[in-house]
Amino acid sequence: MRPTSFGKDTGLQARMLLTMFLLGAVYVVFMGVLFAAGASGVIIAVVAGGLVFLQLFASEAIGLRAMGAREVSPQEAPELHAMIERLCLQADLPKPKVAVAYTDMPNAFAMGRSKKHATVCATTGIMDLLTPAELEGVMAHELAHIANRDVMIMTLASFFASVASMILQFGFMFGGGHSDDDDGPGFLAVIMVSLAVYVISFFLMQALSRYREFAADRGAAVLTGRPSALASALMKISGGMDRIPQKDLRASSEMAAFYIFPPGTKSAIGSLFSTHPPMDKRIDALMRLEGQLQGTR
Amino acid sequence: MGFFDALLGKRKVAPPAAKDRLFAMSTAHIAMDVDGLRARGRAGIVFQSLGTADFSRVVQEMEEVLHGTGEETGTTVSSQDDSFGYRWMILEDPDVEDLVVGVHAVNDALAIAGYGDRTLAAVFAYEDGSQPLYWIYNIKRGSWYPFVPAGGEQARSNERELQLKARYGGDLPIEPELERWFPLWGVPL
Repeated sequence: MRPTSFGKDTGLQARMLLTMFLLGAVYVVFMGVLFAAGASGVIIAVVAGGLVFLQLFASEAIGLRAMGAREVSPQEAPELHAMIERLCLQADLPKPKVAVAYTDMPNAFAMGRSKKHATVCATTGIMDLLTPAELEGVMAHELAHIANRDVMIMTLASFFASVASMILQFGFMFGGGHSDDDDGPGFLAVIMVSLAVYVISFFLMQALSRYREFAADRGAAVLTGRPSALASALMKISGGMDRIPQKDLRASSEMAAFYIFPPGTKSAIGSLFSTHPPMDKRIDALMRLEGQLQGTR
Repeated sequence: MGFFDALLGKRKVAPPAAKDRLFAMSTAHIAMDVDGLRARGRAGIVFQSLGTADFSRVVQEMEEVLHGTGEETGTTVSSQDDSFGYRWMILEDPDVEDLVVGVHAVNDALAIAGYGDRTLAAVFAYEDGSQPLYWIYNIKRGSWYPFVPAGGEQARSNERELQLKARYGGDLPIEPELERWFPLWGVPL
């Protein structure tokens, strides 16, 4: 009996764990400072906790509203529903709500705090652009986000960052008005620490978000068994289909055939800020999976 | 799925459930026959077909084995790809018990080759008066549910399905969560 079609991705998991560990460490230090500075921090934490829960429970509605998406019935989008039903059967997931956004921009996203309360949404643009197999890859990617509980993990990861940002706001609003009679320097220190926590956790959360994209790509490949279909979908969405030219080599002029696009101006600093990993890296990772799949046994 | 799978990204497809629940059909069909629910002598097993040489070889070998055993039991086998890119192995035999054994053989062959997680469902075709009716076996969960297409585009008769659940819940392990009664449109049976 052979195990499964794909091996583990230990490197990805190690990096994700490290990021989560660092994020946790920042927050532990932050809590320590808050307690040292006095009880006022606890009240702020409670308010921020409320906000995070609101975010958790309202994320579906907010996400759909932001994209201008509408839930569709099986009669309205039969193909999409049937595709998602099969993927759910395969993934052993309950069926999420299915929504469609009427826009030409090719995009898809998943929202929901748990497996039972989830929505997947595709734009009409992506449904027109992709072949059924590619669309299936994208939908499997979104279902993997649901299976991995990404919305919940990112919301919880942002908890202390929201505490920090609230303290910063309070600090700027009321800190200046106070005369430095009793707790002046302590309060200033809390503001400085909050600022540091906010900045560090911002970058760590962006990194975590990127790793979760890789994990969802991997989940989609495992689910559909077709990493190449998702890779091809990603290329189409990013407009990178030009990379595999449609035009005959003989038809293009001599120089154009050998012309290499200058590498993007994105620096390492730029990639620190992005929530999604660069398309090339995602496609590379998917190609490694395809290699594993073809090479098994 | 465990806590760490959620944290680190799910990396496995759900494996098939215990197989003995599939065999519930070999006795349940007798009760159905008494009630006028006639088996149409056709069953299918649907799975994702992977684009690898190894997978094609496994499927080809399986088909050959089924053709071989079919000569004894009288079961005929054919395969077909549907518009969703899934492969159907279709078995034909007037005896429901032979169909169950055949479906189990396909499932087993895929599992032994390491592709057990690629199987989706097994479908048994029945006839309710003159209307088609399907019993779908969810391989991952080891549960059965009825699927009754109604007239019209992608319409199903939930009323009839719930009746069937009430009637045969004692004979078949019926899927308890109604939201997992996934339809399979365009079943080639």
